[in-house]
Amino acid sequence: MELDELKSLINERMERVQTEKSPADIAMLLGKKTQAVTAKIKRSLVIEMVTSVAFTLACIAIAVFGTYSSLRIYFAIFAVICALFIPLLYILFNKTKKLSSTALPVKSNLQTLIKIIREYVKRYFQLTMALIPISLIIAFSLVYTQENLYNPVQDTFFVGSPLKTALIAGYIILFSIGMYYFTKWYLKKLYGNYVQQLEMLIEELEEQQ
Amino acid sequence: MRGFSFAVIFSFFELPICCTVYITDIYGIRNGKSRMQATNEFLSLINQHQNIIHKVCNLYMHDAADKEDLFQEITLQAWNAYKSFRGDAKFSTWLYRVALNTAISFYRKEKRKPQFERAYEFPDQPDETSEIEEQMQAMYQAIGALSKIDKALVMLYLEDYSYDEIGNMLGITANNVAVKMNRIKTKLKEESKKHYQFS
Repeated sequence: MELDELKSLINERMERVQTEKSPADIAMLLGKKTQAVTAKIKRSLVIEMVTSVAFTLACIAIAVFGTYSSLRIYFAIFAVICALFIPLLYILFNKTKKLSSTALPVKSNLQTLIKIIREYVKRYFQLTMALIPISLIIAFSLVYTQENLYNPVQDTFFVGSPLKTALIAGYIILFSIGMYYFTKWYLKKLYGNYVQQLEMLIEELEEQQ
Repeated sequence: MRGFSFAVIFSFFELPICCTVYITDIYGIRNGKSRMQATNEFLSLINQHQNIIHKVCNLYMHDAADKEDLFQEITLQAWNAYKSFRGDAKFSTWLYRVALNTAISFYRKEKRKPQFERAYEFPDQPDETSEIEEQMQAMYQAIGALSKIDKALVMLYLEDYSYDEIGNMLGITANNVAVKMNRIKTKLKEESKKHYQFS
Protein backbone atom coordinates (compact mmCIF):
# COMPACT_ATOMS: atom_id res chain seq x y z
CA MET A 1 0.00 0.00 0.00
CA GLU A 2 1.30 3.43 -1.00
CA LEU A 3 1.20 6.72 0.84
CA ASP A 4 -0.62 8.32 -2.12
CA GLU A 5 -3.44 5.74 -1.95
CA LEU A 6 -4.22 6.65 1.65
CA LYS A 7 -3.27 10.33 1.38
CA SER A 8 -6.68 11.97 1.74
CA LEU A 9 -7.93 9.42 4.30
CA ILE A 10 -4.90 9.81 6.56
CA ASN A 11 -4.97 13.59 6.27
CA GLU A 12 -8.64 13.66 7.20
CA ARG A 13 -8.12 11.36 10.20
CA MET A 14 -5.09 13.29 11.40
CA GLU A 15 -7.14 16.46 11.46
CA ARG A 16 -9.76 14.97 13.77
CA VAL A 17 -9.30 16.08 17.32
CA GLN A 18 -10.80 14.68 20.46
CA THR A 19 -11.08 17.95 22.33
CA GLU A 20 -11.30 21.14 20.32
CA LYS A 21 -10.15 24.26 22.14
CA SER A 22 -12.37 27.29 22.53
CA PRO A 23 -11.00 30.84 21.98
CA ALA A 24 -11.12 31.25 25.79
CA ASP A 25 -8.89 28.14 26.22
CA ILE A 26 -6.46 29.51 23.65
CA ALA A 27 -6.46 32.93 25.34
CA MET A 28 -5.57 31.21 28.64
CA LEU A 29 -2.55 29.59 26.96
CA LEU A 30 -1.16 33.00 25.94
CA GLY A 31 -0.58 33.90 29.59
CA LYS A 32 1.48 30.80 30.31
CA LYS A 33 5.26 30.52 30.46
CA THR A 34 7.02 29.22 27.36
CA GLN A 35 9.47 26.31 27.63
CA ALA A 36 11.36 27.12 24.42
CA VAL A 37 15.17 27.25 24.59
CA THR A 38 15.16 30.81 23.21
CA ALA A 39 12.84 31.89 26.03
CA LYS A 40 15.08 30.23 28.62
CA ILE A 41 18.13 31.99 27.15
CA LYS A 42 16.23 35.30 27.13
CA ARG A 43 15.31 34.87 30.80
CA SER A 44 18.91 33.99 31.69
CA LEU A 45 20.20 37.00 29.76
CA VAL A 46 17.83 39.37 31.56
CA ILE A 47 18.94 37.99 34.95
CA GLU A 48 22.61 38.25 33.91
CA MET A 49 22.19 41.83 32.67
CA VAL A 50 20.45 42.93 35.88
CA THR A 51 23.07 41.14 38.00
CA SER A 52 25.91 42.62 35.94
CA VAL A 53 24.53 46.15 36.32
CA ALA A 54 24.04 45.72 40.07
CA PHE A 55 27.47 44.13 40.48
CA THR A 56 29.17 46.82 38.36
CA LEU A 57 27.56 49.57 40.45
CA ALA A 58 28.59 47.84 43.69
CA CYS A 59 32.16 47.36 42.41
CA ILE A 60 32.36 51.00 41.31
CA ALA A 61 31.18 52.10 44.75
CA ILE A 62 33.87 49.99 46.47
CA ALA A 63 36.51 51.13 43.95
CA VAL A 64 35.69 54.79 44.64
CA PHE A 65 35.01 54.72 48.36
CA GLY A 66 37.15 51.72 49.50
CA THR A 67 39.86 52.23 52.11
CA TYR A 68 42.47 49.69 50.95
CA SER A 69 44.20 50.46 47.66
CA SER A 70 44.41 46.81 46.59
CA LEU A 71 40.70 46.33 47.32
CA ARG A 72 39.92 49.37 45.17
CA ILE A 73 42.02 48.04 42.25
CA TYR A 74 40.43 44.59 42.61
CA PHE A 75 36.87 45.89 42.43
CA ALA A 76 37.70 48.46 39.73
CA ILE A 77 38.91 45.62 37.44
CA PHE A 78 35.79 43.59 38.26
CA ALA A 79 33.63 46.61 37.43
CA VAL A 80 35.34 47.08 34.04
CA ILE A 81 34.92 43.41 33.09
CA CYS A 82 31.25 43.32 34.12
CA ALA A 83 30.56 46.62 32.37
CA LEU A 84 32.15 45.26 29.15
CA PHE A 85 29.84 42.27 29.21
CA ILE A 86 26.60 44.26 29.58
CA PRO A 87 26.43 45.48 25.93
CA LEU A 88 27.43 42.01 24.68
CA LEU A 89 24.60 40.43 26.68
CA TYR A 90 22.21 43.08 25.39
CA ILE A 91 23.14 42.42 21.73
CA LEU A 92 22.63 38.69 22.31
CA PHE A 93 19.29 39.35 24.02
CA ASN A 94 18.10 41.36 21.00
CA LYS A 95 19.18 38.61 18.59
CA THR A 96 17.30 36.00 20.65
CA LYS A 97 14.23 38.22 20.83
CA LYS A 98 14.32 38.71 17.06
CA LEU A 99 14.48 34.95 16.43
CA SER A 100 11.46 34.23 18.62
CA SER A 101 9.42 36.92 16.87
CA THR A 102 9.96 35.73 13.29
CA ALA A 103 8.88 32.66 11.36
CA LEU A 104 11.97 31.58 9.43
CA PRO A 105 12.21 28.49 7.22
CA VAL A 106 13.02 25.40 9.32
CA LYS A 107 16.68 25.18 8.23
CA SER A 108 17.42 28.89 8.85
CA ASN A 109 15.59 28.69 12.18
CA LEU A 110 17.76 25.77 13.30
CA GLN A 111 20.95 27.49 12.10
CA THR A 112 20.09 30.74 13.91
CA LEU A 113 19.18 28.83 17.06
CA ILE A 114 22.54 27.02 17.06
CA LYS A 115 24.36 30.32 16.43
CA ILE A 116 22.61 32.00 19.37
CA ILE A 117 23.24 29.09 21.76
CA ARG A 118 26.91 28.95 20.71
CA GLU A 119 27.33 32.68 21.19
CA TYR A 120 25.63 32.54 24.58
CA VAL A 121 27.82 29.64 25.69
CA LYS A 122 30.93 31.45 24.36
CA ARG A 123 30.16 34.67 26.27
CA TYR A 124 29.32 32.76 29.44
CA PHE A 125 32.59 30.84 29.15
CA GLN A 126 34.61 34.01 28.44
CA LEU A 127 33.11 35.78 31.46
CA THR A 128 33.83 32.85 33.77
CA MET A 129 37.37 32.41 32.47
CA ALA A 130 38.13 36.14 32.61
CA LEU A 131 37.19 36.26 36.26
CA ILE A 132 39.43 33.35 37.33
CA PRO A 133 42.91 34.97 37.02
CA ILE A 134 41.64 38.27 38.31
CA SER A 135 39.95 36.78 41.34
CA LEU A 136 42.95 34.56 42.15
CA ILE A 137 45.94 36.79 41.46
CA ILE A 138 44.44 39.94 42.84
CA ALA A 139 43.01 38.11 45.85
CA PHE A 140 46.44 36.78 46.75
CA SER A 141 48.21 40.07 46.05
CA LEU A 142 45.56 41.82 48.14
CA VAL A 143 46.16 39.60 51.15
CA TYR A 144 49.94 39.57 50.93
CA THR A 145 50.56 43.21 50.11
CA GLN A 146 48.12 44.84 52.46
CA GLU A 147 49.78 45.36 55.81
CA ASN A 148 46.48 45.51 57.69
CA LEU A 149 45.40 42.11 56.34
CA TYR A 150 48.65 40.15 56.50
CA ASN A 151 51.33 40.16 59.18
CA PRO A 152 54.51 38.31 58.07
CA VAL A 153 55.78 38.16 61.65
CA GLN A 154 52.85 35.95 62.71
CA ASP A 155 53.23 33.69 59.68
CA THR A 156 55.87 31.25 60.95
CA PHE A 157 55.22 28.39 58.52
CA PHE A 158 55.20 30.13 55.16
CA VAL A 159 57.58 33.06 55.50
CA GLY A 160 60.23 33.10 52.79
CA SER A 161 59.81 29.40 52.03
CA PRO A 162 59.69 27.96 48.51
CA LEU A 163 56.95 25.68 49.83
CA LYS A 164 54.68 28.69 50.20
CA THR A 165 55.19 29.75 46.57
CA ALA A 166 54.75 26.18 45.35
CA LEU A 167 51.53 25.73 47.32
CA ILE A 168 50.07 29.00 46.07
CA ALA A 169 51.08 28.26 42.47
CA GLY A 170 49.70 24.71 42.78
CA TYR A 171 46.43 25.95 44.18
CA ILE A 172 46.07 28.57 41.40
CA ILE A 173 46.83 26.03 38.66
CA LEU A 174 44.51 23.35 40.09
CA PHE A 175 41.71 25.81 40.70
CA SER A 176 42.02 27.26 37.17
CA ILE A 177 42.11 23.84 35.49
CA GLY A 178 39.23 22.64 37.65
CA MET A 179 37.12 25.68 36.84
CA TYR A 180 37.94 25.38 33.11
CA TYR A 181 36.80 21.77 32.88
CA PHE A 182 33.86 22.25 35.24
CA THR A 183 32.53 25.20 33.16
CA LYS A 184 33.01 23.22 29.92
CA TRP A 185 31.22 20.18 31.36
CA TYR A 186 28.41 22.30 32.81
CA LEU A 187 27.77 24.15 29.53
CA LYS A 188 27.90 20.91 27.56
CA LYS A 189 25.39 19.39 29.97
CA LEU A 190 23.11 22.40 29.61
CA TYR A 191 23.23 22.95 25.85
CA GLY A 192 25.73 20.53 24.27
CA ASN A 193 23.37 17.62 23.62
CA TYR A 194 20.65 19.92 22.34
CA VAL A 195 23.02 21.64 19.88
CA GLN A 196 24.19 18.21 18.70
CA GLN A 197 20.57 17.21 18.01
CA LEU A 198 19.95 20.44 16.08
CA GLU A 199 23.11 19.91 14.03
CA MET A 200 21.98 16.42 13.13
CA LEU A 201 18.63 17.83 11.95
CA ILE A 202 20.43 20.35 9.69
CA GLU A 203 22.64 17.56 8.32
CA GLU A 204 19.51 15.52 7.59
CA LEU A 205 17.91 18.47 5.81
CA GLU A 206 21.00 19.02 3.69
CA GLU A 207 21.67 15.43 2.67
CA GLN A 208 20.61 14.69 -0.91
CA GLN A 209 19.93 10.96 -0.74
CA MET B 1 30.83 69.37 39.49
CA ARG B 2 28.41 71.60 37.61
CA GLY B 3 28.85 69.48 34.46
CA PHE B 4 28.21 66.30 36.42
CA SER B 5 25.01 67.76 37.91
CA PHE B 6 23.79 68.67 34.43
CA ALA B 7 24.59 65.18 33.16
CA VAL B 8 22.59 63.64 36.01
CA ILE B 9 19.64 65.95 35.34
CA PHE B 10 19.74 65.30 31.59
CA SER B 11 19.98 61.56 32.10
CA PHE B 12 16.61 61.69 33.86
CA PHE B 13 15.04 62.99 30.64
CA GLU B 14 15.48 59.48 29.27
CA LEU B 15 13.12 58.11 31.89
CA PRO B 16 9.85 59.49 30.45
CA ILE B 17 11.00 58.45 26.95
CA CYS B 18 11.58 54.86 28.16
CA CYS B 19 8.24 54.91 29.97
CA THR B 20 6.50 56.11 26.80
CA VAL B 21 8.00 53.22 24.84
CA TYR B 22 6.93 50.78 27.58
CA ILE B 23 3.39 52.19 27.85
CA THR B 24 3.05 52.13 24.04
CA ASP B 25 4.15 48.52 24.13
CA ILE B 26 1.72 47.62 26.93
CA TYR B 27 -1.25 49.09 25.17
CA GLY B 28 0.06 47.69 21.93
CA ILE B 29 -0.26 50.78 19.77
CA ARG B 30 1.81 49.09 17.10
CA ASN B 31 1.26 49.33 13.37
CA GLY B 32 -1.91 51.30 14.04
CA LYS B 33 -3.52 48.26 15.68
CA SER B 34 -4.46 48.07 19.36
CA ARG B 35 -3.25 45.07 21.33
CA MET B 36 -6.81 44.05 22.10
CA GLN B 37 -7.66 44.11 18.39
CA ALA B 38 -4.55 42.10 17.53
CA THR B 39 -5.29 39.57 20.30
CA ASN B 40 -8.87 39.05 19.13
CA GLU B 41 -7.73 38.71 15.52
CA PHE B 42 -5.06 36.19 16.54
CA LEU B 43 -7.45 34.15 18.71
CA SER B 44 -9.97 34.00 15.91
CA LEU B 45 -7.33 32.85 13.39
CA ILE B 46 -5.89 30.21 15.74
CA ASN B 47 -9.39 28.98 16.51
CA GLN B 48 -10.10 28.56 12.80
CA HIS B 49 -6.77 26.84 12.09
CA GLN B 50 -6.28 24.87 15.34
CA ASN B 51 -6.52 21.61 13.37
CA ILE B 52 -3.02 22.40 12.02
CA ILE B 53 -1.59 22.61 15.54
CA HIS B 54 -3.43 19.46 16.64
CA LYS B 55 -2.09 17.64 13.61
CA VAL B 56 1.50 18.63 14.37
CA CYS B 57 1.06 17.70 18.05
CA ASN B 58 -0.43 14.29 17.19
CA LEU B 59 2.41 13.52 14.85
CA TYR B 60 5.30 14.71 17.01
CA MET B 61 4.16 13.66 20.49
CA HIS B 62 3.10 10.32 21.95
CA ASP B 63 1.07 10.99 25.07
CA ALA B 64 -1.68 13.45 25.91
CA ALA B 65 0.36 15.56 28.35
CA ASP B 66 3.18 16.07 25.84
CA LYS B 67 0.68 16.93 23.11
CA GLU B 68 -0.90 19.52 25.40
CA ASP B 69 2.54 21.01 26.19
CA LEU B 70 3.43 21.22 22.51
CA PHE B 71 0.05 22.79 21.67
CA GLN B 72 0.71 25.47 24.29
CA GLU B 73 4.25 26.02 23.01
CA ILE B 74 3.16 26.38 19.38
CA THR B 75 0.38 28.81 20.34
CA LEU B 76 2.83 30.92 22.37
CA GLN B 77 5.43 30.92 19.60
CA ALA B 78 2.76 31.88 17.05
CA TRP B 79 1.64 34.72 19.31
CA ASN B 80 5.25 35.96 19.68
CA ALA B 81 5.78 35.83 15.94
CA TYR B 82 2.33 37.20 15.03
CA LYS B 83 3.70 40.77 14.96
CA SER B 84 5.87 39.73 12.01
CA PHE B 85 2.93 38.19 10.08
CA ARG B 86 2.13 40.66 7.32
CA GLY B 87 -0.33 38.57 5.37
CA ASP B 88 2.03 37.98 2.39
CA ALA B 89 1.45 34.25 2.71
CA LYS B 90 -1.71 32.41 3.78
CA PHE B 91 -2.14 32.22 7.57
CA SER B 92 -2.25 28.41 7.37
CA THR B 93 1.15 28.31 5.58
CA TRP B 94 2.65 30.70 8.11
CA LEU B 95 1.20 28.67 11.01
CA TYR B 96 2.64 25.44 9.55
CA ARG B 97 6.06 27.09 9.50
CA VAL B 98 5.80 28.24 13.14
CA ALA B 99 4.35 24.90 14.29
CA LEU B 100 7.00 22.82 12.53
CA ASN B 101 9.82 25.07 13.78
CA THR B 102 8.53 24.67 17.33
CA ALA B 103 7.92 20.93 17.11
CA ILE B 104 11.30 20.21 15.50
CA SER B 105 13.30 22.29 17.98
CA PHE B 106 11.15 21.27 20.98
CA TYR B 107 13.49 19.76 23.53
CA ARG B 108 12.35 17.49 26.27
CA LYS B 109 14.23 14.88 28.25
CA GLU B 110 12.98 11.44 27.27
CA LYS B 111 10.71 9.93 29.86
CA ARG B 112 10.83 6.21 30.45
CA LYS B 113 7.47 4.78 29.54
CA PRO B 114 6.17 1.29 28.82
CA GLN B 115 6.46 0.39 25.16
CA PHE B 116 2.71 -0.11 24.61
CA GLU B 117 2.06 3.53 25.54
CA ARG B 118 4.52 4.72 22.94
CA ALA B 119 2.79 3.14 19.94
CA TYR B 120 1.37 5.63 17.46
CA GLU B 121 -2.37 5.48 17.13
CA PHE B 122 -4.81 7.76 15.40
CA PRO B 123 -6.19 10.30 17.86
CA ASP B 124 -9.78 9.27 17.07
CA GLN B 125 -9.77 5.50 16.78
CA PRO B 126 -13.10 3.82 15.84
CA ASP B 127 -14.23 0.73 17.73
CA GLU B 128 -14.71 -1.40 14.63
CA THR B 129 -11.65 -1.93 12.47
CA SER B 130 -12.06 -2.59 8.76
CA GLU B 131 -9.25 -3.62 6.40
CA ILE B 132 -8.73 -0.08 5.18
CA GLU B 133 -8.69 1.12 8.78
CA GLU B 134 -5.93 -1.36 9.59
CA GLN B 135 -3.96 -0.29 6.53
CA MET B 136 -4.31 3.34 7.57
CA GLN B 137 -3.24 2.53 11.11
CA ALA B 138 -0.20 0.65 9.78
CA MET B 139 0.71 3.61 7.57
CA TYR B 140 0.23 6.03 10.45
CA GLN B 141 2.50 3.94 12.67
CA ALA B 142 5.12 3.93 9.93
CA ILE B 143 4.86 7.74 9.67
CA GLY B 144 5.22 7.95 13.46
CA ALA B 145 8.51 6.06 13.28
CA LEU B 146 10.03 8.58 10.84
CA SER B 147 12.57 11.24 11.84
CA LYS B 148 11.41 14.76 12.77
CA ILE B 149 12.39 16.16 9.35
CA ASP B 150 10.73 13.32 7.42
CA LYS B 151 7.54 13.78 9.47
CA ALA B 152 7.48 17.46 8.45
CA LEU B 153 7.89 16.49 4.79
CA VAL B 154 5.08 13.93 4.96
CA MET B 155 2.77 16.33 6.76
CA LEU B 156 3.23 19.06 4.14
CA TYR B 157 2.94 16.51 1.34
CA LEU B 158 -0.37 15.26 2.77
CA GLU B 159 -1.56 18.88 2.81
CA ASP B 160 -0.97 18.99 -0.97
CA TYR B 161 1.77 21.60 -0.85
CA SER B 162 3.95 21.62 -3.96
CA TYR B 163 7.63 20.63 -3.72
CA ASP B 164 8.54 24.31 -4.20
CA GLU B 165 6.33 25.36 -1.28
CA ILE B 166 7.65 22.54 0.93
CA GLY B 167 11.19 23.56 -0.02
CA ASN B 168 10.45 27.18 0.94
CA MET B 169 9.03 26.16 4.30
CA LEU B 170 11.91 23.87 5.15
CA GLY B 171 14.67 25.99 3.57
CA ILE B 172 15.81 23.38 1.04
CA THR B 173 15.52 23.04 -2.75
CA ALA B 174 12.49 21.53 -4.51
CA ASN B 175 14.84 18.95 -6.02
CA ASN B 176 15.97 17.91 -2.55
CA VAL B 177 12.32 17.64 -1.46
CA ALA B 178 11.58 15.36 -4.43
CA VAL B 179 14.55 13.10 -3.61
CA LYS B 180 13.56 12.90 0.04
CA MET B 181 9.89 12.23 -0.73
CA ASN B 182 10.78 9.33 -3.02
CA ARG B 183 12.93 7.81 -0.30
CA ILE B 184 10.24 8.35 2.34
CA LYS B 185 7.50 6.79 0.18
CA THR B 186 9.58 3.64 -0.35
CA LYS B 187 10.38 3.46 3.35
CA LEU B 188 6.74 3.93 4.36
CA LYS B 189 5.61 1.24 1.94
CA GLU B 190 8.01 -1.27 3.45
CA GLU B 191 7.41 -0.25 7.06
CA SER B 192 3.61 -0.17 6.80
CA LYS B 193 3.70 -3.66 5.24
CA LYS B 194 5.48 -4.92 8.37
CA HIS B 195 2.96 -3.26 10.69
CA TYR B 196 0.02 -4.53 8.61
CA GLN B 197 1.32 -8.11 8.57
CA PHE B 198 1.97 -7.91 12.30
CA SER B 199 -1.55 -6.68 13.11
